[in-house]
Amino acid sequence: MSSTRSGRDRRRPGLVWLFPLPALALSGFLFLYPVLQSFRYALTDWDGYSASYRDIGPANLVRLATGDDLFHHAAANTFRLTAAVVLVQTALALLLALLLVRTTPMSVLLRALFFLPAVLSSVSVAFVWRFVYEPGGGLLDTALRAVGLGGVQPLYLGDPGHAVYWLALTQVWFHAGQMTVVFVAGLQAIPREYHEAAALDGAGRLARFRHVTWPLLAPAAAIVAAYTTVQSFKAFDLVLGLGGNPPGPGLDLLSTRIYTTFSDDRFGYAAAESLVFMAFVLLLTWVQRRALGGGQP
Amino acid sequence: MNALDRRSALRLLAGTGLALTAAACAGPGGGPDAPRAADPSSGPATSGPVKGTVSFAHWRAEDKAVLARLTAAFSRLHPGTDVRQDVTPSADYQSTALRRIRGARSGDLFTAFRGAQFQQLVKAGVYAPLTGTPVLRRYQDALTAPGAQGGVQYGLPYQLVFNTPLANTDALDRAGHTAAPRDWDGFLQLLDDLKAKGYTPLAWPGGDAANAGQLLNTMVMNNLPEPDAFAGIETGRHRVTDDWFLTTLRQYAQLRPYLQPRAAASDADATLRLFAQGRAGLLATGSFQTAAARALGARFPVDLVAPITTAAGRARYEGVFNATFILGVNNASSVQPAAYALLEFLSEPRNAAAYADGTGQHVTVAGVEYTNPDLKALAPWLTRRTLLAPRFQFLDLDIRSAVENATVAVVRGTDPHQAAEEAQRVIDQKRA
Repeated sequence: MSSTRSGRDRRRPGLVWLFPLPALALSGFLFLYPVLQSFRYALTDWDGYSASYRDIGPANLVRLATGDDLFHHAAANTFRLTAAVVLVQTALALLLALLLVRTTPMSVLLRALFFLPAVLSSVSVAFVWRFVYEPGGGLLDTALRAVGLGGVQPLYLGDPGHAVYWLALTQVWFHAGQMTVVFVAGLQAIPREYHEAAALDGAGRLARFRHVTWPLLAPAAAIVAAYTTVQSFKAFDLVLGLGGNPPGPGLDLLSTRIYTTFSDDRFGYAAAESLVFMAFVLLLTWVQRRALGGGQP
Repeated sequence: MNALDRRSALRLLAGTGLALTAAACAGPGGGPDAPRAADPSSGPATSGPVKGTVSFAHWRAEDKAVLARLTAAFSRLHPGTDVRQDVTPSADYQSTALRRIRGARSGDLFTAFRGAQFQQLVKAGVYAPLTGTPVLRRYQDALTAPGAQGGVQYGLPYQLVFNTPLANTDALDRAGHTAAPRDWDGFLQLLDDLKAKGYTPLAWPGGDAANAGQLLNTMVMNNLPEPDAFAGIETGRHRVTDDWFLTTLRQYAQLRPYLQPRAAASDADATLRLFAQGRAGLLATGSFQTAAARALGARFPVDLVAPITTAAGRARYEGVFNATFILGVNNASSVQPAAYALLEFLSEPRNAAAYADGTGQHVTVAGVEYTNPDLKALAPWLTRRTLLAPRFQFLDLDIRSAVENATVAVVRGTDPHQAAEEAQRVIDQKRA
């Protein structure tokens, strides 16, 4: 059968080049073309619906860099959110995975339970967490009172300096269970013999984690970190659900900033913001891949 | 079939990439959906066969059931017509309605927010102007202005609300206040007396972007009693560091002890519950929350009480009103006679009354008799000295947010002067 296929391929070598065409056509039309268009629109003052516009060169980008506090603030918020979610969610998911790696009925149940939030829509999660963060009668306030910390009265999402960390907490609750499952799969793929050999050599639990588990878990960690980063950048409907539209300064991220600019009929400026956003994502992805060694053990 | 070798495939891909790049380099605008300027002399087709499916685009999910009853009656009156409600969440509608309504893919009859969206739709030429059409006679003259521009009536404001704090008059009676305060000291005294009786004097949803700014309407209406005060901030005629706005911010600071704890983080649902449960004297949003308060079990009588921020006798306005949405007929509709007929149907006093009573909101249609007790109780406000809500004069969301966020920052504890400076910096950047 194999020789028959080889013979056919030799007769029609060109056919193989047709296979990627549907995928390339779709990415070209749905991704590449809009990206290229954004470069063009970013050089204009187009409002998004008028037939006329002015070419203004790099003025939008210059203004973004030098005279837009709201954009700088949104960029800082996005960075803080991403850093907080990547660190906390990865650590928590890894911890949960280490605790739940053995396949017992209880661990399977707990894995499913922790995974559950991931199947909810962002809007539902936002509504649930608005009740959690409600000053006075919310779940967190009730919990604080129950442990004798009623005097601690955070403003939660109303505190512009820390709102983004409360958002990060929601994000972690939303996706940590999902990432736990990825880590569990990674942990279960590590041959038991390696741990046994290390134990025979006298390695303790910490040493075994450091020298056996973590290096072999690097591909899974890379997936978790990349997915978490993408998911933090995509925190859009969750933010609007929690903070309204447009969100206050504490919750304004690059994605919501671009949406507000678009809503304000400044399409050209929104395109310029999108380009900077894209550069930001590319830079972060590159840094992340370097930091994790491309996920290679 | 000719063989496609690697080199040819790469050439094809490179060619396609270049073609995409060249296409992307074309300037924006144009195309089949390009806007057409509305011709003020060409109104909607008011005659012609009333038939076809009318798309009614709006964001009022809470009105859907009432409108469904009305549109069913419309279809019975005009056999061969059908009305499809295209309901979009308000935030999405604010951002994307134009793209969907233009070209009449949706919205043969459509709603628009007063202010930025209305101006945008006028500029895009989406409206079939209503100047001179018989339907105009159905409306109270004084209330149609938000749907007009440059002497042309593009749309008709339909629902009318009062963006003036809602009062639990039982609570006010218990606090010894049977009449509304007439100056700022009187207002603070009212709040003091409510507090002494154990009420949260003023429930304010400072953490809710959409509703935190409602109080600002009445806080500025007499500090700068101009019909375009906030428009002046956008044009640069006024600054938020001017005395009138600094006074307003200082007055916000004076309100701090009278708001519920951590008011700057409270959302609209929580403050509504506080009011509906009879635990707050005033709710700093407006008449549009009366029906929701009733749905939560509020049984007390209500009225409106505005903060009069000036000395007695110097206040020009008693409260603020707003046209929540403006109805318009789509210039590009293929079923324009039916869309116009639906507008006329909704503008008949009997049907407007059914809408008002069913939604618990007033309407701008003349000759409407309300049966809803709350609407009847607040109806005298229709003829009182009220200002068209200044908050919706802002055309730029960032500038509006900067101004409103300054009030939230002050309630959170920021010095009024610092809050004003920070807001003005954003405004200057957005105006540049």
